Amino acid sequence: MALYNFKKIMVVPTAKEFIDITLSKTQRKTPTVVHKHYQIHRIRHFYMRKVKFTQQNYHDRLTQILTDFPKLDDIHPFYADLMNVLYDKDHYKLALGQINIARNLIDNVAKDYVRLMKYGDSLYRCKQLKRAALGRMCTILKRQKSSLEYLEQVRQHLSRLPSIDPNTRTLLLCGYPNVGKSSFINKVTRADVDVQPYAFTTKSLFVGHMDYRYLRWQVVDTPGILDHPLEERNTIEMQAITALAHLRSAILYVTDVSEQCGHTLQEQLELFNNIRPLFTNKPLIIVANKCDVKKISELSEENQACDQLLAHRVNTKIKGKKVHDVLNRLHLAMPAKRDEKERPPFIPEGALNRRKAMEVDAPKRKLERDLEMELGDDYVLDLQKYWDLMNEDEKQDTIPEVWEGHNIADYIDPDIMRKLEALEKEEELKERAGEYESDEESEDEEMQEIRTLAKQIKEKKQLMVLESKEKDVHGPRMPRTATKVEKKQLEKEMSNLGLDMSDKSNSHYAQQGQRSRSITRKRKREASAPPTSKTRSQSASRPPRDQSGLRDGKMVKKTKKMMKNSQRDMNRQARRGESDRHVFDLKPKHLLAGKRKSGTKDRR
Amino acid sequence: MRIEKCYFCSGPVYPGHGVMFVRNDCKMFRFCRSKCKKNFTKKRNPRKTRWTKAFRKSAGKELTVDNSLEFEKRRNIPVKYNRGIWDKTVEAMKRVEEIKQKRQARFIMNRLKKGKQLEKEEAINEVKKNIHLIKAPHAGKAKQMEDKMVQKLQEDVEMEDDDI
Repeated sequence: MALYNFKKIMVVPTAKEFIDITLSKTQRKTPTVVHKHYQIHRIRHFYMRKVKFTQQNYHDRLTQILTDFPKLDDIHPFYADLMNVLYDKDHYKLALGQINIARNLIDNVAKDYVRLMKYGDSLYRCKQLKRAALGRMCTILKRQKSSLEYLEQVRQHLSRLPSIDPNTRTLLLCGYPNVGKSSFINKVTRADVDVQPYAFTTKSLFVGHMDYRYLRWQVVDTPGILDHPLEERNTIEMQAITALAHLRSAILYVTDVSEQCGHTLQEQLELFNNIRPLFTNKPLIIVANKCDVKKISELSEENQACDQLLAHRVNTKIKGKKVHDVLNRLHLAMPAKRDEKERPPFIPEGALNRRKAMEVDAPKRKLERDLEMELGDDYVLDLQKYWDLMNEDEKQDTIPEVWEGHNIADYIDPDIMRKLEALEKEEELKERAGEYESDEESEDEEMQEIRTLAKQIKEKKQLMVLESKEKDVHGPRMPRTATKVEKKQLEKEMSNLGLDMSDKSNSHYAQQGQRSRSITRKRKREASAPPTSKTRSQSASRPPRDQSGLRDGKMVKKTKKMMKNSQRDMNRQARRGESDRHVFDLKPKHLLAGKRKSGTKDRR
Repeated sequence: MRIEKCYFCSGPVYPGHGVMFVRNDCKMFRFCRSKCKKNFTKKRNPRKTRWTKAFRKSAGKELTVDNSLEFEKRRNIPVKYNRGIWDKTVEAMKRVEEIKQKRQARFIMNRLKKGKQLEKEEAINEVKKNIHLIKAPHAGKAKQMEDKMVQKLQEDVEMEDDDI
């Protein structure tokens, strides 16, 4: 318990640091802004707060120090003595006392100044009071400089002390310096103590731990003890003496038989007698170390020491009163036999076999590795031989996986043959029903002719489209009759269409050609066409446009109808012609007025 | 070794080809080429992309329900190798493949029959309407008339002969 606190003591700051920390904390954690024109109680409160805050901080910190450091009266006497040896009990107590006094003084200062500040009547006055208070507190602390330093050193050293549990099983090594105590502890535990040929290598107590009989044991190594009276002993020896005095352990008094340590056996014996009073009530072993001549194994010494201690502890415990209580509660239960049947413990077969196998330690089967070694270069790794197939001779088969883009594994089925048979039957039925007969009906000649004609028509159409695309029409479209058609062209076209164009000199087109203006000829007065009902102003030879090219009245009617039909669309759109783009009503009311009710919102 | 199916176009993915994409929900997508993968990344639906098998099957352009298609199925339990079974399976596979091809071809042919009918009718219509582009309406009429006249004369002559 006391062990832990030694490591957990808070750092003791130096006086200067202490003051700095506290003052900066006051600066940061209290409000900083105050003005002359504030109300006086506010100003007073502000400065009182600062004073109290500083006092509080100092108080807390110092209290913490006082509580952290162990009180020598409260801890195990071993530690108390050890600390006394190391740090001087008086000095220690004094330092702590000073800290206590400082704390009380600071409290008083704060109290006084807070009382004074109640009567401060201006900002300046309050400020000065605060300044004075803080100043005095800091001066008090400045005076504790040496105590704080000393305590810090004590703390550091204390935290580095080995954690010796005074109540557990311990073995204590003691003897002259340089006899081999540290070597022993190094051998026996995991401790790593310095071993050097000069005396007083070990200057303080060291602890190691070891296991014996499923228990943890502490082994404590001490600095060597010289033979002189107690008063003359130095700090280092005193540590050893303290350990001897207070720790309830088995003592291993190590002697150097070979006298390599520099002291004779006699001297060692004398020392032993001198410190004998310390060995009361503790099991003692005298260790004869460094005996290269005799073969005394050190282990047996250790064993004996541990056993002795254990026995000693048990004895003392039994002698105590508490044991009886425990014994009363202990009771060993044995099951009573109810019949003669033997009920030995059950061990399964496999476990027995395995145990036998482990004992016999024979290889179960031939390994691949062995085979490899045997065959050497001929060895081929053939894992297929371990396969578990129905037929043994199929093991070396190469298994096909893929055929023509299909995975064979997808077709594997136990009743694939049955399914295949069903499929074949189906197929047969279908064939019989005539499903697979190609029904290309041989078409009659007429159809074939029609097809050829259709093909020709298609080609002709395409040609016409291409021709019209090639035409370079920039100006207005003139009707067909405006351009001259050559006689040869006409004859060629008509013959392509299948008409017989030979001997056509009497035809109309030939005679019209003769009448063209390029060849001016005197017109013969011939009654070629009978005069129809026309005015004299019009020439008789030219028929009116709505009658030219028409054979009879029927044709005239039809032509008129066609003309009216083609005019109909233009009339409906109220347009004079193709170029007429006049809009009568740019914003029709029925489209643009009104709310957008249900209906399309894509357009108006 | 297995030939997988491309998720997008349903084509075969041979070992050493294509790309596999694993999504955060542990679903694996295999693609036969970057075209399919790019389409997938663009979040296109294979059932709406016209050139994929998925579209063709869902649009009824190819044979979907048939007994011959039930043979090729991915099985999750592997069967131990047995020479007899493997031999039989390989042969059955070949036969099934034949039948499957026949049936698929038949299906497509049936589908295209209607088109042929329409084509015929169209040809007839075309000829009827636009014959004037290649043949004048009375192209052979003059000759016909002549022939008729000749025939008539011949008949007259015969009749005269008969009379006499």
